[in-house]
Amino acid sequence: MHIPDAFIPIGQALVYWVIALIFVALALRWARRSMGEEKVPLVAVLAAGIFAIQALNVPIPGGTSGHMVGAALAAIVLGSPYAGVFILTLVLLVQGVIFGDGGITVMGANIINMGVIGGFIGYYGYTAVRRLISNAYAAAFIAGWASLFISAILCAVELAIAGTFPLTVGLTMMGAYHAIIGLIEGGITAVALYLIASARPDILEHPLGVGA
Amino acid sequence: MEAKRFVIIGIAVALVIAIAAPFLASSNPDGLESAFFSMYGAKPFMGSDLDEEAAAAAEEEVVAVTGNDFSHEPLMPDYSIPGMDKAGEVLAIVIGTLLMLGLVFAVAKVSARPDN
Repeated sequence: MHIPDAFIPIGQALVYWVIALIFVALALRWARRSMGEEKVPLVAVLAAGIFAIQALNVPIPGGTSGHMVGAALAAIVLGSPYAGVFILTLVLLVQGVIFGDGGITVMGANIINMGVIGGFIGYYGYTAVRRLISNAYAAAFIAGWASLFISAILCAVELAIAGTFPLTVGLTMMGAYHAIIGLIEGGITAVALYLIASARPDILEHPLGVGA
Repeated sequence: MEAKRFVIIGIAVALVIAIAAPFLASSNPDGLESAFFSMYGAKPFMGSDLDEEAAAAAEEEVVAVTGNDFSHEPLMPDYSIPGMDKAGEVLAIVIGTLLMLGLVFAVAKVSARPDN
């Protein structure tokens, strides 16, 4: 879902950069207040794992593929939507600058879609679903799916404003593909949460046994 | 599991994924690219035949629509090393994974809440 430079006019891209930087500043404030030094290695490993798994495109119907974003997982494990913003901003920076995956001028839009929406929908989706069902992994699956799907919907809206995609067709196509790609996001989020919780239950900001 | 072991296993898992990714990953366009190609007539929405010529034309057309012709030369375009084949892709993703590890460790270290 990495938007390339050509898809958004520079003026609009700058507006997304400004919005993204506000969330990056809030993420840095979260880190200073709530991300203890003991969490630093975990944050680095999560980021490396998210970068690697983003390179693993899974085929979906319609000659298309999709990959995990990972902001929901980061937000759930570290207990804040800003963890998703923090990690995805750095992932997107390296992907854009070194690998040409996602544009430079439009990086703000990509940070909003994948970091901000991914982190916020992932985290608040997870905590909301956990009030309804006690199974943490089912909640992680649903939150992961929703984080990816809603990112794609916002992406379609941005590209409609940009004049690149017609709104209805864009929403339909982006929604259809990413409703399926969301299953990958939800599945890996749930499995990774299970593995982390099994190995180090203490590492989770909100223990699974206790409603988040 | 002790903290150090957990981190080492985490790094190992990330590297295994990085090494395997070029062999396992689908080369189909991703959801956004696929939607773009379908809308610009280079690929059927639910089909897999990508018309390379129409795809190239679509990429030119969209620059005309948005006026954003910014481009830069990434060091390792599309997770590959120019002049190298599959080995270059493995190397590119492994380098990227290690770079992420180091960069995020450094940024997290300076922005974290001090212990005392």
